[in-house]
Formats: sequence, C-alpha cells, structure tokens
Amino acid sequence: MTADMNGPFHQRAARMSTLIDCGKFLLLAGLAVWLLALGTRGLGYQWQWYRVPRFLLVAQGGNWTAGPLLQGLWVTLQISALSLACTLALGLAAALLRLSASFTARALARGYLELIRNTPLLIQIFFVYFVLSPVLDIGAFASAVLALSLFEGAYAAEILRAGIVSIHRGQWEAAHSLGLGVLDTYRHVILPQALRRVLPPLAGQGISLIKDSSLVSTIAIYDLTMQGQRIVAETFLAFEIWFTVAAIYLVMTFGLSFAVRALEHRMNGAPHVRIGGIA
Amino acid sequence: MTDEPIIEARGLTKIFPGGIVALDRFTLIVRRGEVVVIIGPSGSGKSTFLRCLNGLEEVDDGAIVIDGIPLDHHRRNRLLIRQEVGMVFQSFNLFPHMTVRENIDLAQIHVRRKSHAQAAQTTMALLAKVGITEKADRYPHELSGGQQQRVAIARALAMNPKVMLFDEATSALDPEMIGEVLEVMRALATEGMTMVVVTHEMGFAREVGDRIVFMEAGRIVEEAPTGGFFGTPQQERTKAFLSQIL
Repeated sequence: MTADMNGPFHQRAARMSTLIDCGKFLLLAGLAVWLLALGTRGLGYQWQWYRVPRFLLVAQGGNWTAGPLLQGLWVTLQISALSLACTLALGLAAALLRLSASFTARALARGYLELIRNTPLLIQIFFVYFVLSPVLDIGAFASAVLALSLFEGAYAAEILRAGIVSIHRGQWEAAHSLGLGVLDTYRHVILPQALRRVLPPLAGQGISLIKDSSLVSTIAIYDLTMQGQRIVAETFLAFEIWFTVAAIYLVMTFGLSFAVRALEHRMNGAPHVRIGGIA
Repeated sequence: MTDEPIIEARGLTKIFPGGIVALDRFTLIVRRGEVVVIIGPSGSGKSTFLRCLNGLEEVDDGAIVIDGIPLDHHRRNRLLIRQEVGMVFQSFNLFPHMTVRENIDLAQIHVRRKSHAQAAQTTMALLAKVGITEKADRYPHELSGGQQQRVAIARALAMNPKVMLFDEATSALDPEMIGEVLEVMRALATEGMTMVVVTHEMGFAREVGDRIVFMEAGRIVEEAPTGGFFGTPQQERTKAFLSQIL
C-alpha cells in the first residue's frame, strides 16, 4: 500500500462509502419488513408465537429436553450428513466412470445420470422405499439415505466432471511423463485442483440436499418437516410452525455455506477483486 | 557417448485428425550419452516426435524401443518407459497446488516408492543442482518463469531418468531468464545425460549438441554432427533455414 492510500483524504472517502453502503442496506431491510407487514395484515391471521417455544424445548421436572422440532432436527441432521458423504462418493464414482475409456462404464454412468435427473425425487424415494427396500432388506431411514444420495449424487457427478475436465491437459501430461498411472494422477494431481474449483457449486448441491431431505417425511420418517406437519395438524399453528421450521433449515444451510466459505478461503480460492470495487 | 543405442525410433508415422501429417516415416537412433538437437520450422513435427517417445501421443505406424523396452500397447511397458524418460515442457506444467518440494517429491514417493526421508534428500540435492534451494517451500506461482522451468527440470530428474526430452524448454521464457535454464541443461549434458532437445536456441545447439537434426513436414531434411551441420550444410533447404535464423 502506498502512503497516498493511507492519507486523510483516502480514509475519509472509505468511511463515507461504508456509511452509504450501510444506509442502502437499512433502506432495503426496512422495505422488506414493510412489505411483510402489509402482507400479513391482509391475511387476517391470529398470530400466536407464544405457543411455539414448547415445541422446541420441553421443561420436565426442572430439566430441559428436546421438543419434537429439535428431535426432528436431529433426524434431519443425521440423514443429511450421511447422504452428503454418500453423495460425494457416488458423484465421484459416476464422474470417473463417465470419463473412463471403457464404453460400458460410460454407458452405465450416463444411464444413471439421465434416469435420476429426469425423474422427480419424490417418486424415487417411493421407489426405493416400497420396491427396493424389501429386496435389500433395509428400513425407512436407510431407504431415505439411499434415495437422497442417488438423487444428489447424479448432480454432484456432473459438477465434479466439469471440474475435472477444466484442468489443463498439461497437468495430465506432466503426471504421465513422470510415470504416474491414471489413478495416482487423479488422486494427487487432478482431483485436488478440480475440487477446489467446484467447491461453490458443490456447496450449493449440499444445501439442496438438506432442503430436499424434507421429502423423506413422506415415508414415515420423523424428520424436521414431518414433526412440523404433525404439530400443525394438532394445533393449527400453521404459519408459526412452518416459519419456525424454515428458520431451522436456514440455520442448517447457512452453517454449511459458512463452513464451505471458510474452507474456500483457506484454499486461496476467494476472489480478490469485487465488482464495483477498486480493480 | 557410446555406440550403444538407447532410443530407437523407426518409421514413425503420425497423422492428426484432419489429415495433417506430423510424422512421415521418421527414423532416429540416439546413442547413450548423446545430445541430439532437433530444429526446424514450426509445425514440422519436432514436438510430436518428442511426445511420441514417451507415449503422450500414439503413433499410427512405426516402432519405438527405449533402453530395450518396446513402447507398445502394454500399459506396463509404457509406464516403465515413462519412468526412464524425463520430459520438460514449454509451459513448465508444474502442479500449482503443491510446493516446489512437493512437486519434486511426488513421483519419487508414488512411482519410485521411496520413503519421504529419502525423497526429501534427493529433492534438496536436485534443488541445489538447479540453484533454487531457498524456494523449496514456495508455490509455483510465486516463482519466475526461469525458476519454474528449473524446478520442472529437477522434477524430471528426480526419477533418475536415463533420457531427458526438452520440448522448447525456453520458448515461453522472458529473454533474461533463458540463460539460467540453458545453463542447467548445459550442465546436464556435461554430466553425460542422453538428451533430445527441441529448441530454437541455435547458440545452445551449436555449443552443446553432438548432432543436429533438421526436420520439415515430419521428415528429416538433414542430419549431421554439429560442426558439419552449421559449417557445411548440404541441403539447399537447410541453408535457407539457417540463413533466416542465424
């Protein structure tokens, strides 16, 4: 940084532009709140937020225990975490098969991708639960993880493949010229670089997975959505409960984005120049 | 230099899609310890020939034998040849996500199956040889072009190859960095390394080359020991080419 950039004029300009930025943000937030208030007033709905906390935490003999919503959250977290791991494994396998020299491998991967991406997830969940699970002898929970992994894996495969083919072929040639085989080249040279590039879209897929996991409520799994549904049926607190459920999903997905962003930062992948900033 | 051949390439033909003939029944025998410099106009097939020698390109016809190992459809032979043949590229092709040290360690550990300690020892010795020990823990993008190319040479040497191929190793460099890379190559030649060098650096060719091969349209126009090639070129085409670039 030059001496000029630290001068009083530059500092004042920087403070000024931060101030203006904050002003714009407050203006937008105010506008959003005003619109929301306008919408709910027109609804004529009797808000009863005070009844919500008991579904999150229950006081039992002086001890706090998880209410149905938090129990559901725990199930959703388990399903999402397991599915995320399986999605990455499956996506990587499918991407490598699609890039394989073998026709059979490519056809297999292609068939999987087209079948999964062109049919609704809900029907896939039903198929796995009602048709496959008796054959494989697995329960509802495992069926849910399997169906979600199969679905998201197809999307992850294309993201990973895009990352792999974006690596310059000079990298392959350098690795080959050193005597590294295909698998070692993938493992040490290509994948570390490709993963770094596709981290943002991969994070987006992870977020989709968490939200899509709400569909497993259709096969009698008491996840966050299913618990919400049950409470609404009993109490008619439709908006309060659904908004709470949505907020919990938001916290989960935001947590994931935040973790990925931190990872991205550590890998030096973050952009250094912002649009509208100083180039 | 001995009379024993280490590279035998006979009748190589390579036709690219679109009908471009890159190699046309090209034959070249390189002896152990010899430095062969290949020159010629761009598109004459020089780089293609080098890339065929370690199987980065597949020939449509012809046979390649390196140190007694035939380069054929057996993956094992291909990998064996690549272990014995080091290659340096015009665009360096260092692995950008690894430090200099890791770049040079990689093949030693995963191909030569050396221990990390053994690899580290070789790596530091090679970095000393190419004169950049102080950059061992830097990433490639933190190095100048000349430094990157010297690391790339060290990386190829780490496999302890019997042959080194240089594919226009100095063409992507700023003029002031060409010298430091040529210096390393010159030292290698002096040590008796067998080298096949594609280059436009005629000073280097004249000084370090044992034999010059002039290529055009996938064929050898003229080949001769260095002194004779530059002193008394036989072909009119060679004379014309030399008069253009010297």
